[in-house]
Amino acid sequence: MSRGSGGGYDRHITIFSPEGRLFQVEYAFKAVKAAGITSIGVRGKDSVCVVTQKKVPDKLLDQSSVTHLFPVTKYLGLLATGITADSRSLVTQARNEAAEFRFQYGYEMPADILAKWIADKSQVYTQHAYMRPLGVVAMVLGIDEERGPLLYKCDPAGHFYGHKATSAGVKEQEAINFLEKKMKENPAFTYDETVQTAISALQSVLQEDFKATEIEVGVVRADNRIFRSLETEEIEEHLTAISERD
Amino acid sequence: MGDSQYSFSLTTFSPSGKLVQIEHALTAVGSGQTSLGIKASNGVVIATEKKLPSILVDEASVQKIQHLTPNIGTVYSGMGPDFRVLVRKSRKQAEQYLRLYKEPIPVTQLVRETATVMQEFTQSGGVRPFGVSLLVAGYDDKGPQLYQVDPSGSYFSWKASAMGKNVSNAKTFLEKRYTEDMELDDAIHTAILTLKEGFEGEISSKNIEIGKIGADKIFRVLTPAEIDDYLAEVE
Repeated sequence: MSRGSGGGYDRHITIFSPEGRLFQVEYAFKAVKAAGITSIGVRGKDSVCVVTQKKVPDKLLDQSSVTHLFPVTKYLGLLATGITADSRSLVTQARNEAAEFRFQYGYEMPADILAKWIADKSQVYTQHAYMRPLGVVAMVLGIDEERGPLLYKCDPAGHFYGHKATSAGVKEQEAINFLEKKMKENPAFTYDETVQTAISALQSVLQEDFKATEIEVGVVRADNRIFRSLETEEIEEHLTAISERD
Repeated sequence: MGDSQYSFSLTTFSPSGKLVQIEHALTAVGSGQTSLGIKASNGVVIATEKKLPSILVDEASVQKIQHLTPNIGTVYSGMGPDFRVLVRKSRKQAEQYLRLYKEPIPVTQLVRETATVMQEFTQSGGVRPFGVSLLVAGYDDKGPQLYQVDPSGSYFSWKASAMGKNVSNAKTFLEKRYTEDMELDDAIHTAILTLKEGFEGEISSKNIEIGKIGADKIFRVLTPAEIDDYLAEVE
């Protein structure tokens, strides 16, 4: 005979519900969607590309200050989808952690180790009542010396996986369905194919054609391992290539 | 641990004397992917389903079965992130024992210390119980051993056990098939057959994981190629 809900608190802090669920964690996932944007990441043969919408809600805002794409180190990028304030907090801590790693161990923090660190931190928030989970899904990308291009996604529940391609945000499921079809035969995308798959996936699920100023694109490549945000002109070139292809 | 504002336990007794949060944690375990373990006469095998949320996930990046020491391995059913925390804490405890006594930690000791951690989270302020049950497989001077640890912190030694979604079918199957003089290879075959019982879809080396330890006292996760060989033998 189980006793109803946890005194009604199972929706307010991260304790178990009678069905064994953590409502606060589930609500954190909803908060990620409430931010109103969709992000996509694709891993190619020797590069990784992440794309997200750039919605500037007010014309008076300085567009260059609106970003969800953050360099954590020179070689590691982080695309944060969800609550902007939580994203900045996470990025600041991640940057600190990556710098300490480099100092302590003498080599650059790999993408998967950073992803694990983020996920372990997120797990703490799901188990301790005094801190709520962050409303952020983080995609970490980098080129690993031994394993090549890596794309990891970390969520508020503390899960993290390596991905061949993935998505987060409002149209997450539609994008994953689209990408599953594209990646079914395990293609080995070149750099251009990787970027264009990511951008066209976003265009397809949101059913709109973007201008170069309406999206942010971040890449790492085996021949240039520095994490970079693409310039407007470069995004233009890819958009043109996509529309000519179709 | 935790903020002083939460210096009270979140796991408290109900009027009927139950610790309801622990029961809910067990429900979380029961809705997790099936895992099982079998103790043979000359070793132990543990196995689990490895169903990933999408084909886009790189399955080589995921390993559910983990080492705690070179001769002790573990698998879980329930919440993956909670499992990672326990693995980290257990590994540290094992290392601290090794440093102090210059001897590898016995399986029973490590299980007891891990269980203590899990119990603490059912009584300390501001935290919830772990949403995982663990199967710990090891081989030390006392021979092959298999333990199951629950979110409450209670643990038992098992000849064979299962946890997660398909627990009742799996346990019935194991009860029928288990024999005291089973050898490790037989145990691996039985483990695969048990997983197959409740498996949704086609079983393959990509959607299960198997770990084993024999008299060599080295815990190893089988490669997909080795799993394929065992699967072929089972057919």
